[in-house]
This record gives sequence, C-alpha cells and structure tokens, in this order.
Amino acid sequence: MDFSLLLGLGRFVLATTLLLLLTIPTAFVVIQLELKVIALMQLRLGPNRVGPRGLFQSTIHGFKVLAKEDTVPDQADRATFTLAPWMVYMAAAMSMLVIPFAPGFVAADFNIGVVYFFAILGLSVVGLLVAGWSSYNKYSLLGGLRSAAQMVSYEIPLTLSVVGVVILTGSLNFSQIIAHQLSHGWNVWWQLLGFPIFFIAATAEINRAPFDLVEADSEIVAGPFTEYSGMRFGFFFFAEYVALFIMSAILVTLFFGGYLAPWPFPAQLGGFIGILYGLLWFFAKTYFFIFVAIWMRTTLPRIRVDQLMGVAWKVLLPLSLINLFLTAIAVVAFKL
Amino acid sequence: MTAVDPETRIPDPIDLDRAEEARLRAAAGLAPPSPPAGSEYAGFELVGVPDRPLQTEREREMYTLEEGEMLLNMGPQHPSTHGVLRLVVKIRGEMVTDLDPVFGYLHRGIEKLCENATYTTVLTYVDPMDYLASMHNEHAPAIAFEKLFGIQAPRRAEYIRALVVELNRVFSHGLMIGFLALDMGGLTPILYAFINRDDVVELLAAISGQRMLFNFFRVGGVNWDVNDEFLSRLGTWHGTVMKSIGDNEKLITENEMYGVTGPNLRASGVPFDVRKAHPYSIYDELEFDVITQQSGDVYARYLQRIDEIKQSLHLIDQIMDKMPHGPVQAQVPGIIRPKPGRAYGAVESPRGLYSVYAISDGGPTPYRFRMRDPSFISLQVMPLLMPGHLIADTMAIMASLDPVMGGVDK
Repeated sequence: MDFSLLLGLGRFVLATTLLLLLTIPTAFVVIQLELKVIALMQLRLGPNRVGPRGLFQSTIHGFKVLAKEDTVPDQADRATFTLAPWMVYMAAAMSMLVIPFAPGFVAADFNIGVVYFFAILGLSVVGLLVAGWSSYNKYSLLGGLRSAAQMVSYEIPLTLSVVGVVILTGSLNFSQIIAHQLSHGWNVWWQLLGFPIFFIAATAEINRAPFDLVEADSEIVAGPFTEYSGMRFGFFFFAEYVALFIMSAILVTLFFGGYLAPWPFPAQLGGFIGILYGLLWFFAKTYFFIFVAIWMRTTLPRIRVDQLMGVAWKVLLPLSLINLFLTAIAVVAFKL
Repeated sequence: MTAVDPETRIPDPIDLDRAEEARLRAAAGLAPPSPPAGSEYAGFELVGVPDRPLQTEREREMYTLEEGEMLLNMGPQHPSTHGVLRLVVKIRGEMVTDLDPVFGYLHRGIEKLCENATYTTVLTYVDPMDYLASMHNEHAPAIAFEKLFGIQAPRRAEYIRALVVELNRVFSHGLMIGFLALDMGGLTPILYAFINRDDVVELLAAISGQRMLFNFFRVGGVNWDVNDEFLSRLGTWHGTVMKSIGDNEKLITENEMYGVTGPNLRASGVPFDVRKAHPYSIYDELEFDVITQQSGDVYARYLQRIDEIKQSLHLIDQIMDKMPHGPVQAQVPGIIRPKPGRAYGAVESPRGLYSVYAISDGGPTPYRFRMRDPSFISLQVMPLLMPGHLIADTMAIMASLDPVMGGVDK
C-alpha cells in the first residue's frame, strides 16, 4: 500500500495545526516588541510590571480580552458580525503556511506558493468590509469602505512588484526563490526599485502606519473594529500583528534571502544545526523589518485618504510597471 | 430562566426613562422617538439631529440631507475631540459638506460662580476655564478689577506677571503642536510636548506652588516674588527649550485655513495682537513684533505657534533683564466694595483675545462678570472652513484652532 499520500496529509495537518498555534505567541511577541519599542522612542518606560521586565504584558492583554464581555449591537447582522473576525484572522494565519522558516522547514511547499500567499492574504479585506458593514455603525462603515479601497488599490503594485521577483527567479515556489538567491545573491540587489515598492505597498496592505486609515482613531474611532469587544476584537488585533509578522517574513523571503545568512557567515549549514541556523537568521531579519515598521509608526503622521489613493495609482503603479519592464530586460540581457 | 410576573417585576429604569420621554414628547407636540422604544439603540437614527423642531435657516440647511449625504456625529465621546466638543458632520463619502459644532457639555457656570464670589476670590474660580492658560485667565480679571478699584500693581509685580504669562504661552503652544500631530496620526510629538510642558510647569510650580491651576495672580499684584528655585530652573530650561523646539520641528514639518483672534487670526495674515494693539501690563516697554503668516492654513497655524514660542522666549529674556526690585503686592483689603461702575480687562491668551467685563453695583461681589473666551469664537468658524475637505481634515483643522473646551463651555 502506498502510504505517501496519507503521510503527506498527516504532515500537512500537523504543520497547519502547529502554525495556527504559532500565531498566538507570534502576536504576543510582536505586540510586546511594539509596546516596548514605542515606549523607548517616546522616552517612556513602557510595560515593566507583569513578569520579568514586563515581558508578559502582551500575554496578559491576550488573556484579558478572553475575559471581557462579548457584546453584539442590537441592529447588527449577527451572523456576519460573528464571522468577520474569524475571516480576517484565518486569512492572516493561513498565509503563514507557505513561509519557509528554515531549510525544509515549511508547512506546504507547493509550486504556486506566491499566488496562494497573495490570494489568501487578500481575503482579509472581505472580513474587514463585512465587519464594517455588519456592525450598523457609521464609523465602522467608513472604516470598512476605507479598508476595501486601500487594500484593493495597494494589492496591485504589491503583486506587480512581486512579479519582478518571479521573473528574476523563474519560480512561484518560495523555497526555489530562496534557492535562486543562494546562487545569485539576494534579490534586493536586482530589485532596487521593486523592494521599496513592495515595502510601501505591504505596509499599506496590512494597515500599518502611516497607512493606518482603516483604524484612524482620531477620525473614525476604530474603523471596522469600533463595535467589537472581547475575543472578537482580540482576533482582529491578533490578525493585525500576525499580518505584520507575515509581511516581514515574506519581504525577507522575497528580497533578503529568507533563511540564508548574510555575507560574512556561511549562507547555509547542513543537518539539524542547519535548521536552527536558518531559523535564527530568518527570525533576525523578520524582526528587523518589524522593528522598522514600529519605528515608522512612532515617527510618521497618518496620510490622508486622497493622498493614499494618489500614491497607489499615480506613483506606485507606474513605478511597479517600470520595474517589471526593467527586470524583464535585465533577465533577457544578462541571462539571469 | 423563570418567567417573571409583569405585575411584580421591577421596571428597568431605562424603560421608565423612555416612557417618560415619549410622554413628554407627545405633550410638547413632537414626533415620537425612533426607532421604537424597547430596542437597545433607541434613538440611533436620530443621532446628530437636534431632538426639537429646527429653528433657524442655518439649522434647516445643516440638517436637511440630500441624496448621498450622511450625518456623522463626532463626540462628545470621541478619541480626538479635545474634551467634550461635539461635531455633527455632514458627509458625502469621505468629503465633508457641512459641519455644526455643538457646545455646552462642559458648562460649569463659572460666570455665575464668580458673580457670587468676592472680587479677590474670583481669581480662584477663573483658573479652570481655559485650563492650559490659567495664568492668562487670572490676568484679565486682575486687570479689570484693578481698574475698578482704582489701584495699581507694583512694577515688579507687572514684570513677574508678564514673565509667567509668557511661560504659560510657551507650554500651551507646545501642547497645541503635539495635539495637532496626534490628530493627524503622529503618536510621538505629543509625548515630547508633554515632557517639554513639564519643565515649564515645574518652573511655574516653583513660583506659584501649583502645577496646573496656578492661582498666582492677586488683585493688585502677584502672590509670591520670584525665588531661587524658579530662577535656577529658568536658567536650565532656557538652555534646553530651543533644542526641544528643534526636535519638534524635525518631527512635524510637512503637512496641510479664519477669522478670529490670536494665533489663528495672525496665521491668516492679520497683524492683531492685544499685546501690541492695546498694551497692558508692561508690554509697551518690551520690544517685539507681531508675527503673521500669510497662507492661513493648518500648516501656517502650526508655524505661527512655533514662531510665537520663540518670540515668548525672546520676551522672557527681556523681562528678566529689565525686572526692577520692589514689592510684588499692593495693599488690598480682603473684602472690597468698589464704587458702582464697570471695567474691562483684555489679554492676549495663547488662543487669542481673552477678556473680562466686570460690573460693580457697589456690593462685595461683581454684579455681572462676563468672560470672552477665544476658543469659543474660533470654533464657530469651523462650518466655514470645513466644506470640501475630508473627514481626516476635520480633526486636523479643529486641532489647529487649538480649542480648550473648559474655556468654550465656561
């Protein structure tokens, strides 16, 4: 009997479960990092009471939302109101499936990883729109519409800048994209225009500052999340930070060699140590870009909704097309 | 759940309220509240529209919606309306077509309180009006009452007054810059602004003993003379403040309106400054120019504040150089019965022309005590500024007018 299919299925289920479980501590770590980094940049102490050096602050926040009263507005559409946080959270968590954390350390290593990733991540906009519409609140509605406009617009330059990488490496498989970077150097050197486009569009795609218009607290309170409380709000909150982690991870994978070590170090090691070595570099690079995103949040004011759309359609879209064109020429000319 | 006998059930107070409201509305000939009582969000659809017949032409214009328009009620509970300001915004998509500011949620009847207090104690009640400019709040009545009593504060007291008032202006403008950035999504400048404010507040606490509501002015002088702690703190602070203004300028220098007094007016190019136009205290002895900006938008108002902070520092230098020796308090009896008459005292507060009009009927308390607060006036131009801008601009424009609701609602 051929058990390979069954074995593969078992491995997939195990990996998926582990990744879903991994999202929770990931969100805790990223939130803790944000609390502490923002505090330091604002000349505050930040959390320093819960656990050693305040390390469990975000964890306790997480458990706190579990204990909060779960309220649903009277006029809200109960079914979709309940479904929306789940949609947003699952979209973020399931896109984690294709990220290669270390050599061979990937939950689902399939050939259309890039397509899968952006398709799944794009689903979160549906959840936000549903949340905004079902809440029966004007702020939520405005936030939901903003999220739809913003995320759909920015998905175009985002995916176009990734197409540059795909042309360069000739693969839609994340593991092969990393393998290509092992032999040709990091993609960022070949995508000097593509990387900033991806970075800006990715920041907008996950609603991080300065593109946090969806939940612009000084204008529309909390956008689609206004009427949510308890664990439902917690899901949105976690999804946001998981999305931040994932976007940094994908950015590292596409442009900065993923789990490959930078120049003075050996790029890869064999065996079990190699996995730990890969994990180390992967997380170091990912958390560096998370740090950059937090840094941007403390420094930059929010951009306005008309400026937001202007940047997407008038600046990023033409630039990403130029980038695509240049990449195609370079690939043909230099036979990369 | 066991069924409760409706006869013995204790009624929900909210239901009683609703029944009472419906009864009152029916008695007054008004439409019943909608949606019908009993639902959790009764009155939800009415949010924004005043629950009385529309009276003026302006109200009918504001509250009549055209196709595609929606009323959005911002405040009095909203993350960024600077206290309990309520803005009813008429929007078309993201575009604001009209706006109606609603005041009164922080009304404490300060004018009436003052009319029931003796002249010398009035100065303690005006402190919490515009709580970011307590010194200015005390200055105007002090001027008015001194005119009423026909007494003169000693010159040293006038210098100390000008000094603390300028210090107050520095931190008030500093905070405005921070709040403006916060309302535009910049998280950090507000914290820097508060750190800078703390230096000034500690300074003022060293001289007055209070950190927020200073209660420092007296009719006919000031409470205390400058002391060593104040002077040493002032020296240190002066060295660091320019650097921190520079930091703030670096953090907020790129981003994007009339009509009133104070920095908001001057940012639109009108050179009106009470300190220059109607000199009070010792301002006619100091050298300073009226700063103006030409463009009159949010950015101009921000630059205006930065320039005025620098100007205040310049004034503080001059005051410290010129300050004479002598007493700081004229001899004033505890309870005074001034001759019947009226007096007006006006100062340039961080938000514009703050003035006090006091009428005496010969009794120990003012017969009428009227305060003109600049934020109250400047907020009313918002309906003229807003149409055609975006929701995001609402908060930026409001913050740039720098209203303090304590002053608006009195």
